[in-house]
Amino acid sequence: MSAVSALILPVLAAVGLMLVNGVVLIYMLRKVLGHLHLRLGPTHVGPKGIVQTTADVLKLLSKEDVRPNGADRWMYVLGPVIVFVPSLMAYAAIPFSETLRITRLDTGLLYTFAVLSLVPLGVIMAGWASANKYSLIGALRAAAQQVAYEVPLLLSVLPVVMIAGSLDLGEIVAFQTGVWMGVVPRWFVLLMVPSFVIFMIAALCELNQTPFDMSEAESELVAGFATEYSSMKFGLIFLSEFSNSFVISALAVTLFFGGWTLPFVPESILAPIAPIVFVAKTYAGIFVFMWIRGTLPRVRIDHLMNLGWKWLIPASLVWIMLVGVVMKLAAPGGVG
Amino acid sequence: MLPDETVVRTVLSGVTQAEVGTSTLGVVVRVPHADAAASLSALKASDLGFVMLVDLFGTDTGDEIEVTYQLRSFARDEEIYVKCALPYDDVLHSVWNVFASALLPERETAELFGLTLAGHPNPARLLTTEGVAPLLRRSVPIRTLEEVRDR
Amino acid sequence: MIGPRDTEHLVVNIGPQHPSTHGVLRLVAELDGEEIVNVEVSAGYLHRGIEKLGEHRRYHQLGTLMDRGDYLSGIHGELAAALATEQLLEVEVPPKARWLRSLMGEVNRIASHMIWYGTFGLDTGAMGQFLYAMRERETLLDVLESVSGQRMMFNYVRPGGVIADITPDAEQKLRTFLRTIDTYIDEHHALLGGNEIFQKRVRGVGVINREMGLSFGLTGANLRCSGVPYDVRRDKPYAAYGELEFDVPIGSVGDAWDRYLVRMEEMRQAARMIRQCIEGLPEGDVMAKIPKVVRPPAGEVYACVESPRGELGIHLVSDGSDTPYRFHYRAPSLFAVQVLEEILPGTLLADAIMLIGSVDILIGEIDR
Repeated sequence: MSAVSALILPVLAAVGLMLVNGVVLIYMLRKVLGHLHLRLGPTHVGPKGIVQTTADVLKLLSKEDVRPNGADRWMYVLGPVIVFVPSLMAYAAIPFSETLRITRLDTGLLYTFAVLSLVPLGVIMAGWASANKYSLIGALRAAAQQVAYEVPLLLSVLPVVMIAGSLDLGEIVAFQTGVWMGVVPRWFVLLMVPSFVIFMIAALCELNQTPFDMSEAESELVAGFATEYSSMKFGLIFLSEFSNSFVISALAVTLFFGGWTLPFVPESILAPIAPIVFVAKTYAGIFVFMWIRGTLPRVRIDHLMNLGWKWLIPASLVWIMLVGVVMKLAAPGGVG
Repeated sequence: MLPDETVVRTVLSGVTQAEVGTSTLGVVVRVPHADAAASLSALKASDLGFVMLVDLFGTDTGDEIEVTYQLRSFARDEEIYVKCALPYDDVLHSVWNVFASALLPERETAELFGLTLAGHPNPARLLTTEGVAPLLRRSVPIRTLEEVRDR
Repeated sequence: MIGPRDTEHLVVNIGPQHPSTHGVLRLVAELDGEEIVNVEVSAGYLHRGIEKLGEHRRYHQLGTLMDRGDYLSGIHGELAAALATEQLLEVEVPPKARWLRSLMGEVNRIASHMIWYGTFGLDTGAMGQFLYAMRERETLLDVLESVSGQRMMFNYVRPGGVIADITPDAEQKLRTFLRTIDTYIDEHHALLGGNEIFQKRVRGVGVINREMGLSFGLTGANLRCSGVPYDVRRDKPYAAYGELEFDVPIGSVGDAWDRYLVRMEEMRQAARMIRQCIEGLPEGDVMAKIPKVVRPPAGEVYACVESPRGELGIHLVSDGSDTPYRFHYRAPSLFAVQVLEEILPGTLLADAIMLIGSVDILIGEIDR
């Protein structure tokens, strides 16, 4: 394999994974929401409606690309791209197994968060450039939400990093292999309940998911920042949304649910099925997101800000301090 | 259900031309339009307690526009109708200061009977666009689609 | 640094094409950030001239027009038109017809409230409960279809009575429905009202106090929430309501939460009345003997019913001919929509959408 193909192949793999994921997740969302809502979801196109999403993608691709008159030409085109590219980049550091990953980064966790925090930039660009008042409100909401929730999201994972002693996602997973006292899996979710709760809330917010779908808020802002987008520009925004929920769910699995590992399963059996285990866990996480999406009403923007600034940030700071003190006391040669 | 006519007369003693009578509708007070707001506020402030304007609508009698105000008293469970007549194309004086519920019905009445609304915070048309004839006047006919096309 | 003079308010047209304006209502909202400074209600996008048409239709046809006014609770509109005509004609309606009117009226009330409940949830961003509400509405529409042949424009109540007796199939469906409705309403309440996020959004928001309710001419649940215990069914009994037992739920604060609770309780009470109607349905005719073309004596009457949205009244002026001289329709939503101009300023955009849902307006009725 030449050096060039070695560089390009993982990128293509990431694009392929993202597209396939998008198609599968949209179908899954429709089915899950359908059954939550006493409906069946798609049933007509293909057996059990599985080709429905593919048909929709074709429809999106063949639709007329409308650009509103007042829109800022370049920003309007660039917006969905800037939303889409970071979502794609975020796949780079995710470890599907010991060996299967696009690239190994020592600061994988930091990288993923940094890349994901670029998404709202695209949202703001898209909303501003659309020359639509609803889009503008959606974009400003996205900005406010971003500032308020990026901080607790990062703070919530710090205790995990402190204990695992690494920002490399693979190392964090490796730390979680095995069991305590023969029965309890060494998953961080059991050790760090507050971290996990804060992470989940902040992640929902980061994903623009119900109950925090402020910037889209279809009953208030029509479609928020995406109101004026049609055709594949809308497709990109849509795809990025699903890809983000995959990435965030994958992060949750990696940080709190032992990544590709399973407790009580010997390494020899696990090694070949590790990526499948990882994807299965991730999809379970996404199912929970969809469940929440199908059930909860939307939080009001001022309640959202209150929750972020007054509760989540102080709570995560206190939790970091507690973990630090306990680590210091328990460490060999510590004060205790 | 029907208020005592003599009590109503006493309440409206300030309005000189008020005529109180009973019809199939109930107790009906006829006042000149200039006194409408005064009569309504007298009825509202009185012991009869007509605190709510239930409805406001116009009728084209063939000679003039008759505006009806329907009032309700919850304390005594009574209703009274105040009617006043206006010539065509006259000015309808708003009573929204007395009953805020008159805001939209007044706009509708003025528009559909071709009256000019005065003293109203937002006297714009409510239901139809500029240039539409005062639809509820008897002289405005209903046309079928064919008649409109042939016009 | 940006001083206060460098900022300007954003004027947003909410509607007529907007997912949550319940049809084609248009609100011209002036926003300061997310906060609403001023709002103007603009109507007329669904104006069909029902009042004018009524002057050119025979008395029997008024019900058909009324179905198109408040299209979610057609039975109530028809009933008001029929009551007004009967009042002019001085006709006695057979007891069975009166009971059937109450029965179908309450069936229609639950069906209409289910739409309100579903869309209210959608307005607050919850998608889950809407189709649960449709599940109940579906059964009720089946019942109404079984007796009237229609699912929306029923044309079931006519001057002199009702057009058909309840079918055994409809009765069976209603009995099954009544066995489950209480559990289902509990389920709905748990889905939406039990949610902390929802409660935080609706409690204390959009307070309509007693004075405001009276001065804006609110009726129905909106008025009862502000503490005025007025219900046409109880205070001016029509149809069979004089013989039915029911409670009139009343709110104390007048906020969106109260309006939610009162409407949920109204559904329970409606189910209670349906039960009594089925058990106590008298025998006999469903239609009085009245001529095909009625020419009532000259006169003017007002008849009102308690529709799901409030007091729905019909003013009829007869000149002795076969068409009404003047036909006026008092739409409860027309009065409820005015109060939005009063309660929206000072709230957030998200609240505005929720409050449009909470006062339960219907555009077909506002524009007529």
